Amino acid sequence: MIFYEDLEVGATKTSGSRPVSADEIIEFARKFDPQPFHLDPVAAERSVFGGLVASGFHTAAVMMSLSVKHGIVDRGFLFSPGFDDMRWLKPVRPGDLLHVKSTCLEKTPSRSRPDIGSVRFKTEVLNQLGDVVMSVINIGIIKLRDPKPA
Amino acid sequence: MRYWEDFSVGEVLEYGSYEVEIEEMVAFARQYDPQPFHLSDAITPDNPDGLLVASGWYTVGLMMRMLADNILSHTVSQGAPGMDRLRWTKPVKAGDRLHMRTTILEKRASRSRPAIGFLTNRHEVLDQDNAIVMWCEGVGMFGRRPAQEAAS
Repeated sequence: MIFYEDLEVGATKTSGSRPVSADEIIEFARKFDPQPFHLDPVAAERSVFGGLVASGFHTAAVMMSLSVKHGIVDRGFLFSPGFDDMRWLKPVRPGDLLHVKSTCLEKTPSRSRPDIGSVRFKTEVLNQLGDVVMSVINIGIIKLRDPKPA
Repeated sequence: MRYWEDFSVGEVLEYGSYEVEIEEMVAFARQYDPQPFHLSDAITPDNPDGLLVASGWYTVGLMMRMLADNILSHTVSQGAPGMDRLRWTKPVKAGDRLHMRTTILEKRASRSRPAIGFLTNRHEVLDQDNAIVMWCEGVGMFGRRPAQEAAS
């Protein structure tokens, strides 16, 4: 289990990779983001993207799944208050193989609760060519191993 | 059809209604966010309080769905470069009924692409008690009114 004390500012963790298929892109779009360029390969050809692309929030969901599966996020992470500066830098297309790189940016102990702290991470999602397709600053609230008595 | 010109700064749009069903909420978590408190309310060492709350990314998906169905489907949506800031402010649980409130904060034309304009929006997801469960701010790209239509 990851504790607040274990996270070192500047340290980077990398996940394994995971493919994204056309079927999964369309399934996600049908449920959550039914825009033609995420849903319909023919309409997508005529769109600004020139072909089917994943919803940006699908890429974010894949980031989360890779982070949990590969232990970048674990039981030490209590919850997340949110994120900043999400950027979709390149389209994610069917057949892309994605992985996650997460770098610890900043740690702040809680003022009101001695048993937790807030940590900011720069998280990047990369494709098989090494291109960053998405970047975001994630925030996690994480347990301390040895809280000092208040 | 609503073009970029048809949105005004300060405008508030209220729309959508989505009841959170436990099967869909848990299925999402199984696929994308399999943390114990998103999967089951069973009390286990991994989930000592027996919480079952939606993945924040599922709430993001529901926001996107309500936005796409009610607003973007009537525009020439050109996607978005990202999302500047998002906060999950209250846990979402099965049975919650969510709706949306969107405020147009800023608008500007694109200098490099005359066919599109940018809108900076604040989206709030509210529950049945009108409590904000999530909010975010970001820029979207929208098609502008074609010249021949503007003239007619």
